Amino acid sequence: MANYLEFKGIGKSYPGVQALRDVSFRVDEGKIVALLGENGAGKSTLLKILSGDTAPDEGVIIINGQEQSFASPYQAIVEGISVIYQERQLVPSMNVIENIHSGDLPANGLGFLKREETRKNAKEIIDKFGLPIDPYELVGRLSVAYQQMVEIMKAYRRNSRIIAFDEPTAPLTDAEIAILFRLIRQLKDEGKLILYVSHRLAEIFRITDEIVVLKDGRMVKTMQTVQTNEAELIQAMVGRDIGDTYSRLSRNDKFGDVLLEVNNLTTDVVSDVSFRLHKGEIIGFAGLVGAGRTEVVRAIFGADPVRSGEIRLDGERVSFKTPRGAIERGVALCPEDRKEQGLVLFRNITDNICLPVLGKLKKRLFLDKKKSEDLAEDAVKRYSIRTPTLDKLVVELSGGNQQKIILGRWTSKLIDTRILILDEPTKGIDVGTKAEVYQMVCDFAKAGIGVIFISSELTEVINIADTIIVMHNGHITGVVKREEATEENVLALAMLD
Amino acid sequence: MRAFAKSKGMTLLLVTVIVFVSFWSANPNYVSWDNLRGIMYSMSLTGTITCGMACLMMSGAIDLASGAEGMMGGVIIAYLLRGGLAWPVALIIALLCGCCFGLINAFFSNVLNFMPFIATIAMSSVYQGIAGAVTTNRPIMITNQAFWALGNANIWIFPLPFVIMIALLLIYGALISSTKFGRQMLYCGGNRMAARLAGLNCKKITTIMFVNNGAIAVLGGSVLASRMHNGSMSAVIGAEMDGMTAAIIGGVSFLGGGSSGMAALFIGILMLNCFKNGLLIIKLDAYWQIVANGGLLIIALIVDFIREKRRLAALLRSALR
Repeated sequence: MANYLEFKGIGKSYPGVQALRDVSFRVDEGKIVALLGENGAGKSTLLKILSGDTAPDEGVIIINGQEQSFASPYQAIVEGISVIYQERQLVPSMNVIENIHSGDLPANGLGFLKREETRKNAKEIIDKFGLPIDPYELVGRLSVAYQQMVEIMKAYRRNSRIIAFDEPTAPLTDAEIAILFRLIRQLKDEGKLILYVSHRLAEIFRITDEIVVLKDGRMVKTMQTVQTNEAELIQAMVGRDIGDTYSRLSRNDKFGDVLLEVNNLTTDVVSDVSFRLHKGEIIGFAGLVGAGRTEVVRAIFGADPVRSGEIRLDGERVSFKTPRGAIERGVALCPEDRKEQGLVLFRNITDNICLPVLGKLKKRLFLDKKKSEDLAEDAVKRYSIRTPTLDKLVVELSGGNQQKIILGRWTSKLIDTRILILDEPTKGIDVGTKAEVYQMVCDFAKAGIGVIFISSELTEVINIADTIIVMHNGHITGVVKREEATEENVLALAMLD
Repeated sequence: MRAFAKSKGMTLLLVTVIVFVSFWSANPNYVSWDNLRGIMYSMSLTGTITCGMACLMMSGAIDLASGAEGMMGGVIIAYLLRGGLAWPVALIIALLCGCCFGLINAFFSNVLNFMPFIATIAMSSVYQGIAGAVTTNRPIMITNQAFWALGNANIWIFPLPFVIMIALLLIYGALISSTKFGRQMLYCGGNRMAARLAGLNCKKITTIMFVNNGAIAVLGGSVLASRMHNGSMSAVIGAEMDGMTAAIIGGVSFLGGGSSGMAALFIGILMLNCFKNGLLIIKLDAYWQIVANGGLLIIALIVDFIREKRRLAALLRSALR
């Protein structure tokens, strides 16, 4: 009898949020099933339920006709379920062999290890997948991709019947993705049931056979991969046609005085960069990764030293030695790596929003709690940040909501931000939230803020920015108005030699 | 052996040789048999404590009360012997007390989820206070001559405590490198989440290591009490620092999970004691000796930090992703 896994009427709610509602679908042997959805659609919750990390409120998981309920992640593993998370479940200071055996090393009755058997086991698995990995290498020394392979081999060694992947390609290069897909297909051919969670559409078409689309915790659609296309998927995920997103934006068309003037700015990485930003204008920086876009804004912000050239704010020459100086003059930077450089992950929403204005929230010696909460409440409402309470730790929120918190922080009532620098603000954010972020950016412009918008997504830059500055190799290679910009001409400038 | 040559063990050996030769040239008495025996004696206490401490650190916890637990062991055994118990019985009871000390630590860190650091520092203070109150700060004399042998007998030309320490090192070395339990311990110390998902009961494992550490500390304290013919509230105190320094020098990661093997650990213990003894031999002022010892721990931590920085960064990144 062929193996199968079935979710039947799965429901799960957290305080204030219905994470999953009546989700039912089936994963059959020989088919790779994609679980697709925006951030916050319920994919992670479903995986948590599958891996025994949390129990569903309603519904059951059925494996080969048998109802299962897992008391712990370990029990799920025993039942043959392995979830390959983005966070590696490996021990970097131990070698590949030991990690493949994941603490369950073959030993004799006295507890002494059977080294030869262990080595042979591991070697067999490594060879089976044809991977050039030294079994004695410490896992910490392997590349991210190979660490993932070790994780897969670990699942294989446990004889898992069901292997679920959570955004497995996020940290991988194209070549590594090819190897990963080869492994996944090999697993499929061996009769493993495979659940593939991702929001990268291109991959889903390459590797999966069936697609289950989740939205707001509900199952929207299941379809055969060959019978659908990207547009249909996006529509299913978002519930509307994304093509309209840009044309629907309500934009600002009245620019004010020159706010920021950069003349011949040169640093260690960029040279001779000049541009002007007006009040209410959105300037987009396009270019390939490493073109020097981030370095330009870092120099303006005072985070990197300036070699030569001048920066004028309201016509007055400034040179910020530290970000603090820039912030005091109303320049705000939302860095690309929001988790590491933008947020205090293990503090709650209120704390994160109040961070730059703590001085204004003082009531004599102490912080005015009420005032802080009002400020946070206001941002949560204004930007529809989805959270049950203000006390929620930021680390527990989805990427889109985290980004909204950063934006809310710099545009709160108590702060007078005049120049807002956004470095890849939509990275890792799902399609629906992206549209919200775009509208927020346009609203900032309407309020008279000058916005610098850095993005590697061409469509996004050329549709959001009023003026697009294209960079290559530390130089500006072109300035294009939005009306004239097409993906082709901007890309040509970005790749210019 | 091959692994040892590749590891930091070789570098460590080299440093030890340099330490040794420099003190030798400063004072030729450094290599006199008497002094070497002195080094062996001090090694035996550090080394015994280190065995428990290193295993505990590998499993991802720490016990800063080890010294105080050892001291309690010495005091308890002294009282038991004064009460007329046969020494093996007294030793076993003391060791059981050591197990209880470990259980208390495990309770704080595994049941109440305190940081082991903080809970054990508090316990250290508690033990010292109890010992001071009960003994009124006087050493409790041990008159049971049979028990004196434990700390003073020789096996061939080596002091018995030294031999006991070597035996412990070999036993724990085998436990860590060749048994399933030992590897599981490293697994817990290296990635607790992964270990949990692999079905390992890390709390159980660290509890066992806490208990083990308590018993080992008491053993060290009892041997010292036997050697000194008394149990004193000032003995063994601070030995946990030496144990920690030796373990870190010997390649045990402060963050858990890492180990360069028992040979490296032995050299760590050797180096620490050659260093401390050398300071005595060159008659460095006692206060400056304390400073030098602290400095050594700091250097060891810095080296460990650099060694672990990459790993830490990688862990952090994966945690944030």
